[in-house]
Amino acid sequence: MRLELRDITKQFPGVLANDRISIQADRGKVLGLLGENGAGKTTLMNILSGLYRPDSGEILIDGQPRTFDDPAAAIRAGIGMVHQHFMLVPVFDVVDSVALGAEPVTGFAGTFDRASARARVLELSRQYGLDVDPDARIEDLPVGVRQRVEILKALYRRSDILVLDEPSAVLTPSETEELFGIIRGLAEGGTTVIFITHKLNEVLEVADTITVLRRGRVAGTVLPHETSREELANLMVGRDVELTVHRGPAHPKEVVLELDDVYVRDDRLEMAVRGVTLDVRAGEIVAVAGVQGNGQTELVEAIVGLRHPDSGAMRIAGQSIERASPRHISDLGVAHIPEDRMRDGLIRQMTVAENYVLDSYHRKPYSDRGQLDRSAIARAAAAGVRDFDIRTPSIGTFVGHLSGGNQQKVIVAREFSRPVRLVVAAQPTRGLDVGSIEYIHRRIIEQRDAGAAILIISTELDEVLALGDRVAVMYAGRVVGILPSERATKEAVGMLMGGVQ
Amino acid sequence: MNALRTRLRPIVIPTLAIVAAFVVGSIFLVLTDIDHMKSLASDPVGAIAGSLGAVGHAYMALIIGAFGDPAKFAIALNGGTDKQWATAIRPLTETLIAATPLIFTGLAVAVSFRSGVFNIGMDGQFILGALFATIAAIALKGAPMPIILLVALVAGMLAGGVWGFIPGFLKARTGAHEVITTIMLNYVASQVVLFSLRLEFLRQSNSTQPISKVIKDFVQVPMMLPLPGLRLHWGFVVALLAAVVVSWLLFRTTRGFELRSAGLNLTAARYAGMSAGGSIILAMVVSGFLAGLGGAFQVLGTVGQMSNDVNAGFGWNAIALGLLGGLRPAGVVAAALLFGALRNGGGLMQVETSIPLDLLVFLQALVIMFVAAPGLVRTIYRLRQPAPEGGAPVEEGAAA
Amino acid sequence: MTAAVAPADTIAAGASAAGRRALRLARARGIVIAALGVAAFGFANATMQEQATFSFWIDQQGGQALTIPITVGALWIVTGVLTGIFGLYQLWRGASVRWRLWLALVLPLWIAATIGTLLSGKPATLTNLFAGSLEYAFPISMGAFAAMICERSGMFDIAVEGKLLLGACVASIAASVTGIVIVGPIVAAIVGMGVGLLMAWLAIRYRVDQIISGTVVNFGALGLTNFIYLRILQLNTDLNTPPTVEAIQIPVLSHVPVIGPILFAETPYVYIAIVTMFVLTYMLFRTRWGLRLRAAGEFPQAAGTVGIDVIKIRYRAMIIAGALAGFAGSYLSLSSAGSFQMNMSAGKGFIGLAAMIFGGWNPIGAFGAALVFGFSDATQALLSILGVDVPPQLLTSVPYLVTIVVVAGVVGRVRGPAMAGQPYEQA
Repeated sequence: MRLELRDITKQFPGVLANDRISIQADRGKVLGLLGENGAGKTTLMNILSGLYRPDSGEILIDGQPRTFDDPAAAIRAGIGMVHQHFMLVPVFDVVDSVALGAEPVTGFAGTFDRASARARVLELSRQYGLDVDPDARIEDLPVGVRQRVEILKALYRRSDILVLDEPSAVLTPSETEELFGIIRGLAEGGTTVIFITHKLNEVLEVADTITVLRRGRVAGTVLPHETSREELANLMVGRDVELTVHRGPAHPKEVVLELDDVYVRDDRLEMAVRGVTLDVRAGEIVAVAGVQGNGQTELVEAIVGLRHPDSGAMRIAGQSIERASPRHISDLGVAHIPEDRMRDGLIRQMTVAENYVLDSYHRKPYSDRGQLDRSAIARAAAAGVRDFDIRTPSIGTFVGHLSGGNQQKVIVAREFSRPVRLVVAAQPTRGLDVGSIEYIHRRIIEQRDAGAAILIISTELDEVLALGDRVAVMYAGRVVGILPSERATKEAVGMLMGGVQ
Repeated sequence: MNALRTRLRPIVIPTLAIVAAFVVGSIFLVLTDIDHMKSLASDPVGAIAGSLGAVGHAYMALIIGAFGDPAKFAIALNGGTDKQWATAIRPLTETLIAATPLIFTGLAVAVSFRSGVFNIGMDGQFILGALFATIAAIALKGAPMPIILLVALVAGMLAGGVWGFIPGFLKARTGAHEVITTIMLNYVASQVVLFSLRLEFLRQSNSTQPISKVIKDFVQVPMMLPLPGLRLHWGFVVALLAAVVVSWLLFRTTRGFELRSAGLNLTAARYAGMSAGGSIILAMVVSGFLAGLGGAFQVLGTVGQMSNDVNAGFGWNAIALGLLGGLRPAGVVAAALLFGALRNGGGLMQVETSIPLDLLVFLQALVIMFVAAPGLVRTIYRLRQPAPEGGAPVEEGAAA
Repeated sequence: MTAAVAPADTIAAGASAAGRRALRLARARGIVIAALGVAAFGFANATMQEQATFSFWIDQQGGQALTIPITVGALWIVTGVLTGIFGLYQLWRGASVRWRLWLALVLPLWIAATIGTLLSGKPATLTNLFAGSLEYAFPISMGAFAAMICERSGMFDIAVEGKLLLGACVASIAASVTGIVIVGPIVAAIVGMGVGLLMAWLAIRYRVDQIISGTVVNFGALGLTNFIYLRILQLNTDLNTPPTVEAIQIPVLSHVPVIGPILFAETPYVYIAIVTMFVLTYMLFRTRWGLRLRAAGEFPQAAGTVGIDVIKIRYRAMIIAGALAGFAGSYLSLSSAGSFQMNMSAGKGFIGLAAMIFGGWNPIGAFGAALVFGFSDATQALLSILGVDVPPQLLTSVPYLVTIVVVAGVVGRVRGPAMAGQPYEQA
């Protein structure tokens, strides 16, 4: 079937996630949808799967306009989704997982006709070459196989349009190759495939047409044989907002943070960081670029002590920190600006003053023999509010009431209120307005000039380029390149982020 | 104006919740008023009016029972004797006595819920506190009274603390859900009490009931008022002091800061370098200390004898009043005084109108429901949604 | 340099880390069990001369009896041997042992030996013990089923206790007023459904924490039923003298020697519990309803993205659970007690929760657990009738302690539905 989206617009409070996006995907073809984080891919996909309704615009299937009120409607219309985070019940077996929501039943008491479901799963997996044991439990299966189960789910519902969201994010290279084989097979069988990714090589390899999204808009539609990686990288990262932060030359001194062949597992015990070696020196900013989910989060958590590495050595100022606690690392003079400020960095229902001392409340002068010195805390918080220009009615206001920019300033003010030897800042300006971004960038550069070592992790290419004295790019858990700032161009970094060496 | 509104906000929902609960309570009273309802068909107006009158009578008795009779106050004020004074203020002192164990258990709720731990084992912690205080007292019989008192109080507190430590430790180490473990430990505690009360050492020898020897004769928390017939003891003041200490612990100390942080946002607390397991255990132990101390004061001050029903629902009441008081120590004291007044006033209501005291238990359940669902109260009263911090801090505790 | 372990770049390594932990636990379990086996021989040594006389009614109460005399010491030896084998097998095979099955084999021997020892020579008739266990197990097992349906759908249900109590109260009134016994259980089930609906509504619509809404129901039911008892039932005893549910002798089967009087001369409630166990097992694991229910409790997003209405599933589950718990409550007042009494549920609802956990969120397992708990009640009754002096509190505490041990994962980790108690946002 032919799928067409016309002028889809979706606004969230403060964000125009999709701005008049039009795409089309033809029967039996693979449409590659390329974009960075925040380009609007996920929103578009949620609209397509019936989870969100667009503010305006049309969805046409074979020329007929359709509206989806819920996921069931999208499924009935023939759209099958393979989510990046698999939607599979871990304790179910493959047959149950595939049939869930579309179970064949026998006449008696809604009995689930497992035998016929199993037969159909077997038939489909044979037909499309998806090798899956129908009786295996999901949690025992490797990710590559789980993905095949997700694809089976869509095929089982006779989906003619298959949407895959970042399908290779969790796959090994050989699993990815297999996936491409499956996709080509499906397209040849007449399925329309939409392949969402940030990886340049992959769209070039598998897509028939490529639509590039940037900041909620379509940046261009190209054919693989008529384009190049450079052009795609350009379209993807764009040239729109040039962040202008004045940054003098760096004067790197001694090594402060040393990472030597570090391996870290994520919550699902899969290896997220695979052998990272990296040094950060006093007086320099190392910016780590990379698309979300390439191991940056786990790397940061390992550095600040929230996660212990599987192997490898990590030192701060010469001290080993592989098994150190977060508090111990913080005591070494590490400032940490966490990635998700409301979840990790602040306590919404506590005041600005309390949040200001969240990680130093136990130190003098804020506490004395276990008792908090509230006036000392108030004085310090008031000073922080003044120095960092935090717009708040008072230091007694709940931090949840402040704007995003001011919340982030509370964190930055807190972290920079102590003597700092190393700054680890993850997505320091995500979701902030331009004014706040500039302000926070300036503060970070000040810390560098005062002699701190700075490690910034960002998915925003502009930020990486504006701040990094050296730019490291992470891809699939590895540092795939380290460029000095003069060689770190958008094209070069964009290609590395897309996995092109 | 705005400042006033902010100050009043924590009171609005609880007040409305109480009003709503009493209205529902009246409906139940009318519906269960068999005598009046029998004449509903023949004389509907008279039946409804009659039963509403009975409800009014009952609520009036409740208030007089809780706070005293104005007429008796008048007599006392006109140069009354000690005895007349005692009669006048007796209901008030009884309210304070009833509130004392509630303050302790309510504080136990405040500490644990604020720390993100659902301790619903106050019942067990309370009754074991009472038991071990009794055991210590009987064991030390003959020693100087202040020593017995002190040792017994400490014994009760420690017993409660141990009973709090077990679920705290299990949750921190194995992730065992504290709601299940504390419920189970409540039952184990009541079995321990029944078992202990059969022992020759504790048993009231001439009784078949599970009650202990009377300890009142040789150990008793000192009385506060020198008037005859008043039972108000210094345990009430200790309860108030405990509220101050809990307030200090939660809001003025580094440990309290850690507890509150863990309760509100465990992830952020971990990121800030705090220990999650330590907070859980500490919260449960402090919670147990408070409940245990409440139990100890109940036997040593108020009833003077251990029995298997010495806890009389204090543990479950505590959850209601903890939530009603917004998990703030001052709020808990206020709510405990209110519940104490209800309990005590309910006595007079029961005597005068033969409406069972248990009505109040039901009303308390309604209060928890309304307080825990601020949205529900807003719907009933058609209130606007307040600014982002939402309703009562119940949500904070509950969210964690 | 520290931590220079070679990276094992596979998922299998992660899985085996969990595996190692399970193995360690299993080893510890094996050692404890084997030690218990040795202890059993110790008991055997002390009771070699002791005779126990167990007997069963062959056809009916007070009729002919089948008598089994046995040396208590011999019983202990058998117990010791089997327990020892269990322990060693566990040590040898590690985590793969189906310990529940073994426990089901060894536990009865321990109980028989313990009772034999406690009786110290007094003869005991066991027919009533077993029949009584079944009956005592009824409210516990139904409570467990109710809580299980909720938790399988992703809702917490600690309010079984309150629903039992309410069910008992309204069943007695309804049956008394109408004079028709069957009306009692029906009204009780309807009231239970109402309570379930209220809890679901509070939790889903107003996002009240499910622990708190459960507390509201438990506490409110206690207050309300006490209130009704004192205000109405005590004064109008005609409202609290329901016709009672009598035991049904199943034709033919109830005359099977020994077994008949135990299994087939029970109150209908027992039969209903057994039928419910099978029906629920089938419904949970063989039907579309069950599949969706379990998906809603394990990973609601997975169900939501394939178009399943998770909220509706949870509402329905709470209502069904309410019906079961309310119905179970009617047993308390309409069966042996013959009237409603204050707080007559006496913690059975909470024991039901324990049975659910102990039974691994599985109807058959939960029924087995309820039988064990019911058995401990029945044993207590038997021992006190025979005048054996053992503090009943010790026996009564066993279910609670066992539950704590199970929840803490010491005996063997049981895993409940992953998302129970978590609110779900439907887009």
